[in-house]
Amino acid sequence: MPEVVVPIGPHHPALKEPVNFRVIADGEKIVRLELDLSYNHRGIEKAAEQRNFIRVLPLLERVCGICSHSHATAFAKGVEEIMGLEIPPRARYIRTIIAELERMHSHLLWLGVAAHEIGFNTLFMWSWRDREAVQDTLEEMSGNRVHYGMNEIGGVRRDLTPAQIKTALARLPDLEDRIQKYVGMVNSEETMLIRFRGVGKMSREEALKYGAVGPTARASGVDYDVRRDDPYLAYDEIPWKVITDNHGDVYGRTRVRVGELWESTQIVRFCLENIPAGPVRVEAPKNAPEGEILSRYEAPRGELAHYIRTNGTDKVERIDIRSPTLANWTSVAMCLTGQNLADIPVIVAAIDPCLSCTCRMVVVHRRGGRAVPGTAAGESGHDPKSRQDGWRP
Amino acid sequence: MSVLREMIGNFFSRPVTIRYPWIKVPIPDTFRGRVANTDELCIGCSKCSLVCPAQVITMIDGPRDVVFKGKTLARKKRPQVDLYKCIRCGLCERHCPTGSIHLEHVHAGTGTDRDVRVT
Ligand code: SF4
Ligand code: SF4
Repeated sequence: MPEVVVPIGPHHPALKEPVNFRVIADGEKIVRLELDLSYNHRGIEKAAEQRNFIRVLPLLERVCGICSHSHATAFAKGVEEIMGLEIPPRARYIRTIIAELERMHSHLLWLGVAAHEIGFNTLFMWSWRDREAVQDTLEEMSGNRVHYGMNEIGGVRRDLTPAQIKTALARLPDLEDRIQKYVGMVNSEETMLIRFRGVGKMSREEALKYGAVGPTARASGVDYDVRRDDPYLAYDEIPWKVITDNHGDVYGRTRVRVGELWESTQIVRFCLENIPAGPVRVEAPKNAPEGEILSRYEAPRGELAHYIRTNGTDKVERIDIRSPTLANWTSVAMCLTGQNLADIPVIVAAIDPCLSCTCRMVVVHRRGGRAVPGTAAGESGHDPKSRQDGWRP
Repeated sequence: MSVLREMIGNFFSRPVTIRYPWIKVPIPDTFRGRVANTDELCIGCSKCSLVCPAQVITMIDGPRDVVFKGKTLARKKRPQVDLYKCIRCGLCERHCPTGSIHLEHVHAGTGTDRDVRVT
């Protein structure tokens, strides 16, 4: 059968965010996937260079609506390290609590979306209902459901009151109970097993080769988590374990995420019960000394990296954000090869893609050629020739 | 099977959604709502307008006397916030030395006029 190109996007009823897939299919089987990202380029990195350390944090939070705390924390922790600031233990714990609550709401959201993609809308409703409890806790602690605005250079902006800790702890048993139910459901519910098992398989070697991160990599048996391997905040003081799985398919990714949900509840419980007393911030200097740092953070979707360079002023000289979705796209292109067309939504959803966070400007240095200003998609491992139309190097 | 049991259970439980116009969503005390300024406290230092990440605070003319730390100061400026461009980040509140500019704990965020400014 001749190969046909099925264009999906950039605007398509099935897509929540703009992205362009060119699926090359042979009958029902996918031969290859070509990706075109960066329809949502917002110039955040450039805008960040023009704002001082106080004003840049709300901007960086808005890189992603779901993991907003990740970006702000990765940045704050990088700048604090350049400044040589040690943030108080209570601030570290509060940051950890917000980070884990954020992971919980992100994974619950993902579980709903994944269920929706396979037509299991009942689970979608349930998990989004349970997510509300997490959102309410976040709103009580930070004042907002989405952009928490908790961080500032040198600590956190708001302290947790005993009443807030009490309500959060009171909500936990219910959540734990629900999450236990999801763990059981993922492992036994036929609706999910049929659509998830053996779909989008990726071996450990492939995951390493294509640079997958986060739950996508851990589901293929890559035992790597920044929280444990390069501990930050309070993670080295908390008993918890990294969840891995050996299935390597969408089923494995679901198991890892549901397992992480449980671990997150335990981390939040530990932090709330053992939060040290004391101040929540230290005075930060206005300017940062000259320096550069790669600040890593385990966001819900995987390893997030902020490269920060400062030049002695109150602004960053350069910031480069590598969001986890960007690292995972190559593995999606690989996972889709040989799969059925109908499995595209669930395989793509399995990395929990967040497209707006992915849109970055990069300069691609081709071997033997000129440097081409392109977008992040230029590196996603397909034929560069097909992407040159309309570009002006 | 667990799904079925859960579904049957849900038939007999109350809905989790709130009947909105009749029942208002409870708002926590920490909620970051609309920006407001207490004119008697504001010393017109411009700090809020300097930290505002959305750059929506302009300092406008507003000559008045303010009592600050027991002294009466003659101030010339007062902040004006473009309400619908404000992202409700709360940085102005955090950096205001007198606690004058603050976020109210109200949800009200809709309107028909884009150019609402509060002083
Ligand atoms: S509201 Fe506060 S920060 Fe703004 S000018 Fe008045 S006193 Fe200064
Ligand atoms: S809440 Fe934030 S955006 Fe709104 S006026 Fe204050 S500093 Fe500006």
